[in-house]
Amino acid sequence: MTVDIIKAIDAVATKTPNAVAYNYLGQTNTYAELKQDSDALANYIDGLNLATGSPIMVYGDQTFAMIATFLACVKSGHAYIPVDQHSPNERLLMIQEIAQPQLVIAVKTLPVELPETDILDAAQLQTVFQQASPYQLTHAVKNDDNFYIIFTSGTTGQPKGVQISHQNLISFVDWMVTDFDLPQRPISLAQAPYSFDLSVMDLYPTLVMGGELQVLPKKVTDNFKTLFATLPSLALNVWVSTPSLIDIILLEPSFKQDKYPELTHFIFCGEELTHQTAAELNRRFPAAQVFNTYGPTEATVAVTAVKITPAILNDYQRLPIGYAKADTTIQLDQVNAENQVGELIISGPSVSRGYLNSPEKTAQVFSTASQRAYRSGDLATIDATGLIFYKGRTDFQIKLNGYRIELEEVNHYLNQQDLIKQAVAVPKYNRQHKVTALLAYVVLKTSDDRPAFEVTKQLKQQLQQEMMAYMIPQRFVYRSALPLTVNGKVDIKALIKEANAND
Amino acid sequence: MNTQQAVIELLEDLTGTDISNNLDENLFTSGVLDSMATVELLLELQAKFGIDVPVSEFDRSEWETPNKIIAKVESLA
Repeated sequence: MTVDIIKAIDAVATKTPNAVAYNYLGQTNTYAELKQDSDALANYIDGLNLATGSPIMVYGDQTFAMIATFLACVKSGHAYIPVDQHSPNERLLMIQEIAQPQLVIAVKTLPVELPETDILDAAQLQTVFQQASPYQLTHAVKNDDNFYIIFTSGTTGQPKGVQISHQNLISFVDWMVTDFDLPQRPISLAQAPYSFDLSVMDLYPTLVMGGELQVLPKKVTDNFKTLFATLPSLALNVWVSTPSLIDIILLEPSFKQDKYPELTHFIFCGEELTHQTAAELNRRFPAAQVFNTYGPTEATVAVTAVKITPAILNDYQRLPIGYAKADTTIQLDQVNAENQVGELIISGPSVSRGYLNSPEKTAQVFSTASQRAYRSGDLATIDATGLIFYKGRTDFQIKLNGYRIELEEVNHYLNQQDLIKQAVAVPKYNRQHKVTALLAYVVLKTSDDRPAFEVTKQLKQQLQQEMMAYMIPQRFVYRSALPLTVNGKVDIKALIKEANAND
Repeated sequence: MNTQQAVIELLEDLTGTDISNNLDENLFTSGVLDSMATVELLLELQAKFGIDVPVSEFDRSEWETPNKIIAKVESLA
C-alpha cells in the first residue's frame, strides 16, 4: 500500500537514482534529476511565502519541467493546476479568476497577461532548477489536502475545477498498482496532455513503481508518418490512451505482437471502447492484457475496470465498463423498472470533495450524507456479479476523442458570435455508438454571400480564441431556421436524428 | 467524374464545407481536418480510388491542401 505518493517517488530516487523517469523523444531525465529539480523549486516556492495551501497554476507542454514542477508544488504544500499550452486565452483568464492562484509557473511562455499574479517564467524556472539544494519534507500536501485541480467543461462556459486530494490519488494509484498485473518498473506511454486527467493514469502509477514515462507529444501524433516512425523506438510495456488513438494506430498492419514484443498491457479510459477495437487488439496481441476502464474526473481518473478476454468478447456485443474498485461502492439511482437502467452514484475514498470555489455547483452533484458520493450523470445497468454496462447520459454531455464536452457549453460559445443568430451543436455517432464529430447547425444573422467555407473558417478562427480546440464543431451546416419543439425550444433530438440519418 | 471533382466532393462529405474555391487552403492549420477526419479521408481515398496509402507513410505536409491531395491521388492511381 502506498501511504504517500511524494515519499514513494523520492524513495525511487534514493534506491535507483540513475533510472530513467522521463523520456521525451530521446531526451531523458533520471529519478535523481526529478528529485533534484523538484527539491530546488520547492525551496524556491517556500521562499515566496504563499498563503498556506493556495494552488499554483502550471502552464505548459509535455516536457520534463512540467512533472518536476508538479512535484515541487506538492512538496511545498500547494496543489497544482495543470493548464495545457493549447488552451485559449479566454480559458486561462477564467481559470485564474476562479482559482485565484498567487503564483503561475509558465513552463512555456504565457500567451496572455495574467493580472495580479506572480509569474515564474521558463528562463527563471531553469535558473531555479540549477540551484540544487536538498529539500526537507515538512509541510508537503497530505491526506485531505488538494494534490491537483483539473478544470473540466461546465455547461455555461465556466469551467469547473475538480479538487483531487492526496488521499483521492492514493486510492487511485494503489488500485492501478495492485489490480492491473503491471510489470515491475513499467515503460508506459504518456500521451495525454496534463490538463486531461487521463495523463494521471500513466504518470503516478509509473513513477511510484520506478518505471519510465515515454512521451508521445501532440506534434508527433498529429503527423502519422512521424507517429509511426517514432512508435517502435519507444519499447513500451504499458499502453494508456483513449480508444480513439488506438483506432488510428491499428490502421497500420505492422502494429502487432511480433513487432512490439514488450507491449503487454493496454489500458483504455476516457470514452467507450468498442467491441471491434478490443477484438482486433486481442487478435494482434494475443499475449497482452486489454483493460477497459471508466470514471469521471470527479472520482479520480477511473473507478471501474475489466479485462477484455475472449469470453467477454463472446458474451457481450457492447463491452462492459467493469467492476467497481475494491474501496468504492457504485449504485444505481432511480432505476427504470422496464430496462433496469439508472444513474451511477459513486462513493468511496477517491471521490473529490467538489469543485474549487464553487459551493453551488458542488452541492448539485456531490453529497456527504454518510460517505462522500458523486452523482455521475452516467446511465448504466449492473448485473448480479457487479459488472457495469454504460447506457448513455442523463444530460447533453458527450465524449469526443476522450474529451468530455458539454453541448450546452459549445452552444454558449456559438451563440456569442457576432455572425450567428442561433446555433446548436449535435454529436455525430458511428455504428458503435461512438461520437466521431460535432456538427453545428447555424442560422446566420444576415445572409452572407461568401462561400460557406469562408464563413466556417472565420467562425472557427474566432472560436479558437475562446474555447478549447477539441470543443469546436468540425462541421458547420447553415440553415435559415432551426426546427422547434412544441414548447418552442430548438428540437435538438430532431437535429441529432438528422445528423445521423445517412448511416 | 474527374479526380478533382471527386476529391472536392469527398472533402465536402467529410467536413460539410465546399472547398472548390479554396484549393490551396491548408486543411490542417485552418481547422478543416482534425486527426480523426484525416483518418476518414485516408480510408475514403483508398476505397474510392483504389490507391494504397499506408498510414505510416502519410506525411501531413504532402496532403495539406486540396490541390496537393488531388496531385497525390493522380500520381498514385
